[in-house]
Order: sequence, then structure tokens, then C-alpha cells
Amino acid sequence: MGRAKLPRKSTNIDMTAMCDVAFLLLSFFIMATKQKPPEAVAVQTPTSVSAKVASDKAILVTLTKEGKCFLILGDDAKRKDVLNDLNKTKGLNLSPDEIAKLGKLPFIGVPLGQIKSVLALPELPPAEKLAGIPIVDSTNNEMVDWFRSITNAYAGGDQKELEERIVIKGDNSVKYPTFKAIKYALKKNDLFKFRIATNSETVEAGTELYNENKAKQQ
Amino acid sequence: MAEIENNKPGNKQKKFAFKKKTTRVDLTPMVDLGFLLITFFVFTTSLATPTVMNMNMPYDKVPPSDMICQSCALTVLLDKDNVIRYYEGMPSANAIAGETNFSDKGIREIILQKRKAVQKLKGTADDFVLIIKPSDVSTFQNFVDVLDEVTINGVKHYYTTEIDKADNRYLSVKPY
Repeated sequence: MGRAKLPRKSTNIDMTAMCDVAFLLLSFFIMATKQKPPEAVAVQTPTSVSAKVASDKAILVTLTKEGKCFLILGDDAKRKDVLNDLNKTKGLNLSPDEIAKLGKLPFIGVPLGQIKSVLALPELPPAEKLAGIPIVDSTNNEMVDWFRSITNAYAGGDQKELEERIVIKGDNSVKYPTFKAIKYALKKNDLFKFRIATNSETVEAGTELYNENKAKQQ
Repeated sequence: MAEIENNKPGNKQKKFAFKKKTTRVDLTPMVDLGFLLITFFVFTTSLATPTVMNMNMPYDKVPPSDMICQSCALTVLLDKDNVIRYYEGMPSANAIAGETNFSDKGIREIILQKRKAVQKLKGTADDFVLIIKPSDVSTFQNFVDVLDEVTINGVKHYYTTEIDKADNRYLSVKPY
């Protein structure tokens, strides 16, 4: 008896559907991931065992290798208040238009006296060409003024919330006096707590913290 | 390939017949590319989360109320080229002093030893106070590394202050 012949089926698989799924997932992941927080200049941050996540509305002070200081006001709601307050207290004579323009800059990295002239330029020069906010000289530490305006703008709010937002991001090779100048500016404004941006590293086994974390998990 | 050529001799087309071209495109490489990109995005995003550590400065508007015991204090001075100099208690000619580095066997050992000594002396390691004094030639990384050691070793009390005249003798670059 001869076996019934099975019709040969084609092994052709329609890949269209799979392709659709792949790209759908891809677009989902791209949309769902948070954009990297804006960066004035790339710095190599130190590592720490801390696993706290940075606030997405951080007031970020960046210290570069060259010892320059840049400021990013991450909170859109308060940025205008900070700039208005600074304009008033330091007598910068900025028009409302100029303040709006200043608010749109990705970062602030010029001395107060140069803000007006930098805004008049057709486009912002690259960060390497900017002077940075002067800090090292304690008689002319402009971060004191910036933090004063920041505390004024946040006055009446939760102090703890502000403390959580202040993030200092320094390059590994920044000399300590630069950081000391920032501490001085914060202290002048009664801000005693702040955050330092770091890269996370794993806790070594056997250390005090490791045992503590382990005990917590159990 | 998503399809396997199925050429049977009987399937031979007649010569000179007009060949019908299919409009089917092989999407396999495109799917590959799609999943490759997905993998790439998944990997890179999880690695880019920035973290922060807490930093508290001493509130120095009011003088401190409780004194620390001299034998409970360990002072670390951050010198240049990633060198740590340390001494126990008050800075004096006969204070136990030394030089170490940022490795696991360096500063961590010193802190743990002192912690044990305080535990023995006072009954509790919580009385141990670490005083951090970064010099002007040290780097930001040095400072963060020491703060990290504080967290790693569970030091309950520490504070950061500036170098003064008494510390001069321990440093390679003398500020005074």
C-alpha cells in the first residue's frame, strides 16, 4: 500500500509581523526611557557606594577639570523666579526678554557682568570658551549670589526638598579649593546639606555596610 | 533565511516563459536589526542612571556642646598624589601618625583598627570620630573617596574641616 502523499508545504514564513513587533518594541523603549539630564560639559565623576537616584529637577553645579564652574537650574517652574531675583538683587539691568532668553540657555557659565553681552551674541559659544562662574576668590564668589537667589526663590517651600535638589558634580581631578569655594557659597546661605553626583560602585563583601545591607534584607 | 529553496526537477519552468518576479521582500535582516537595536537600548539605559551621595556640613553657627574624647578621634589629612596622612588624638610630637593610601588595605584598615580600639576603650564604637581635613593640593576624588569610606565602615560621627597650623608638620606641601 502506498502511503498517501502529503502535499509539500512551503517553509516560507511571513516576517512582516515579527518585524512590526520588533520595531514597535524599539520605539516603545526609546520613548519610555528618560532623556539624559542636560550636561554643561562632560566630567568624570568619582565613584561611591551610594545608590540614591538624582532628582530630575536638580540644581546642578558642575566643576570641570580646569576648575570652571557651570550652573544648570533644572526646575523649570522656579527658574524664572531665581533669575528675576538675581536680576533685582545684583542690578543686572536685564529686560524680561533677556531673562527669558537666559532661562532657555542649557547652562549658565559666565560671570554676572558678562551675562548681558553673552545674551547679545547670536549663539552661545561652546562651554570650553566660556569663563565659568567665578568662585575661587572668596571676595568675588558669585555662587554666593546664585545660591542667595535660589534660596529666595524657594523660600517658604520645603527646605529639605531644596537640599535634595542641590547636586554638586565635580570631575575627579578637580582640586579641593574649587569644591571648598562651593561649600563656602552654600554655607553663606545657610545651606548645610547637599548632594554630590557620583557613579555607583558595588559594596565590597565583608565590610560594615555590606553586613548592614544584608541584615536589612533579611 | 526564512525560506528554503524547494527546487524539484519537475518544477522546472518552461524556457522562454516570462518569469514572474515576486514582490515579496525577505524581512529577516530587518527583524534582526530591530531586535539588535532593542538590546542595545535596554543595555545602555540601565547603565546611565546617575546617583548621588549625601553630604552634610557641620552647622557651625553655635559652638558645639559636647566634646569628643581625645583618644576617640582619628584625623585624616588628604595630601597630594593620593596620599593620606593620619594621626590619632591631638596633633603633637608623640601622636601616633602615619601615611597610607586609598586602597582597601590602606585607609579602611586604619579606620577599622581605630574603631576597634575605641570599642575596647569606651565599650561602644559609636564614640569614634573621624576628622577629615583635605589640603589644597588634594583632589575632589580623594575627598569623595574618604566620605565613601565613612559610609562603608559605618562611621557614625565624622566631620570635615580645614587644615590648621598644628597639622603642618604632617604634610608634604606645607600651607603655613
